[in-house]
Amino acid sequence: MKNGAWRVAVLTAASLFVSSFLIAPARAQRVTDPGFKSVGRGAPLLVDLNDREMTGATIRPPTAGGKPDDPSGFIGSARNGQSPPGIQPLEVDLFTSKDFYKDRKLWSDRRYFRCNSPAAIEDLWGGNRTNLIGDNPPGSAAWGHCDRDYPREAIVSPYGFKTAQAHYEALLEETRRRGGPTQHTYATVPGEWTGRYMRPSGTPGNQYWFRMRHVQVPTILSLLTEEYQTRMVQEAYHHGHTNKAMWPSQFCWPEGFMRRWHEAAVREHQIMVTPSLVQIMAGVAQNFITDIHIGRQFNLEGAVPRLGPDVPRWYGETIGFWDRDTLITWTSNIQGWKTHAAFEHSNKMQTIEIYTPNRDGSGKFLGLNHEAIFYDPEALVEPVRIVRNLVKMSGFEEGDPYVFIECLQTIYAVDGTATPVSPGQVIQYEVPDMLGRPWADIWEKYWEKGMEKPEEKDIFSFK
Amino acid sequence: MNAQSRIGGMLAVTVAAIVVLAASVRAHHSFAMYDLKITKVFTGVVTRVDPSVNHLQIYFAPMNAERKNVERNEAGQPIVWSVEMEGSAQMAKLGVSVNSFPPGTVFSVGLHPLRNGQTAGSREGGMFRCPDKTPPAPGMHCDSVQGHTAVGNAPLPKPTE
Repeated sequence: MKNGAWRVAVLTAASLFVSSFLIAPARAQRVTDPGFKSVGRGAPLLVDLNDREMTGATIRPPTAGGKPDDPSGFIGSARNGQSPPGIQPLEVDLFTSKDFYKDRKLWSDRRYFRCNSPAAIEDLWGGNRTNLIGDNPPGSAAWGHCDRDYPREAIVSPYGFKTAQAHYEALLEETRRRGGPTQHTYATVPGEWTGRYMRPSGTPGNQYWFRMRHVQVPTILSLLTEEYQTRMVQEAYHHGHTNKAMWPSQFCWPEGFMRRWHEAAVREHQIMVTPSLVQIMAGVAQNFITDIHIGRQFNLEGAVPRLGPDVPRWYGETIGFWDRDTLITWTSNIQGWKTHAAFEHSNKMQTIEIYTPNRDGSGKFLGLNHEAIFYDPEALVEPVRIVRNLVKMSGFEEGDPYVFIECLQTIYAVDGTATPVSPGQVIQYEVPDMLGRPWADIWEKYWEKGMEKPEEKDIFSFK
Repeated sequence: MNAQSRIGGMLAVTVAAIVVLAASVRAHHSFAMYDLKITKVFTGVVTRVDPSVNHLQIYFAPMNAERKNVERNEAGQPIVWSVEMEGSAQMAKLGVSVNSFPPGTVFSVGLHPLRNGQTAGSREGGMFRCPDKTPPAPGMHCDSVQGHTAVGNAPLPKPTE
């Protein structure tokens, strides 16, 4: 190894070692205790995902998607056409079916997916650079561990609110009873928040279920409405069976709101705090800019609450208030889209997010506990929650600056297959319907011939 | 620098900023692609509203003369046109948005078509939304339907062909 490479390796190891100490108080995936019994924040997680093992089947590469906590080697229970001991495979499953729409009754059986997690299914053909599809694909696809899962009860919101609005108003009222909301000035605003934070999925001890590597597919499906179940299985089929991944960012399409929580879509976060606006920036293929407007109120007229005109925004609009040094936010007016290996969300998606400081025993600021509750009555049968930690690395006085991303397309769908093309190459290009489900349009046109899809509503006929 | 010249300087900077901003709004693309001598008027069914920041687009399938269905190509597929208008925020203030014009909405609009004959145009004149699931009578437009919604104050333009 050359000197430069050694130096990088040693620095990386030292950095991980130091950060493992720095984040010690926040290492477990727990919710920061607000210090009182709250109506809508700080409820403990039922299960810490960091205590659970990946479902598989996967091989986590040491780079390009591998994370510090990831185990090495094959994670799964059988491969290359074998089935796991003690498990009776289904006669038809995702990897042998000719029409997944007809198999709806089997979707609740984890064997239909060979006990693979949603993210593992996209790994099978090499989606993340390791291959477990076997010698006679797709029928020879590997199996995950059927006895591993993350419980549904730990995913759903522990709060009883039906809407984000009710949740936000209850937290606001609670804060009022506590003498708030706190009206910060430049002298009092928590300036220690301003700075750079570690990549969430690269932070030791920061596993959370939306990474989709510790859950069975039916567990996630049980959170979804019938239509969104179909959409998720459709994607799983084209990940695991036809090998036609349609990840939006591969085409420089928008990432979509929920990708902010995806393991691969964001790296380091940059946070800036002022009395009237808190800004969070992150991104890999596209920019995620979350502007939290402090003290403002949504316009409640129209399809969904919003700040600006009646125009859905890819990453929504966000208002918030302070309860001392805790920031409580409400995001609405979000454009529906997808997160690959997870589920689609609709234009009705709204979130309540709580940012609470993590401190060590001496009170030193270590970063933020980020608790997010997702409300989407079109996609979700009940609200769900994601809890993670944002660990501060530094202020802005050091480190690389944020790179504003301009995604230039190099991969195109050529005859229904994502294909890198070179300058000067001529291809036939079908303009995608970007406000619909362009990924599904490609699958349905090229890879679902002969399948019995649910009939679409006819909007063109009038009696 | 005296106060008068300072004010003059500030005014010049302000005017320059306005000119630059206005240019940036208007210079997203040239409208010379459209044939301003031709005006078409359609009543169609919305397939999608694209709320682009610069120019909101409505994709629609023109209805047939009977107003019972839409014009179709030889393969039986709806022929889809697009009409572009002002930015999404401005159009939202006029009542045109993803939420107010969902797929299936019937509306009438005038446009200047592309010079090259492709199925797209630039909006001209007023625009009218029919009540839900209530197309106009044969040969008529949404401004003739009771309960219609007008977008702006202008009438539909007169077609040139």
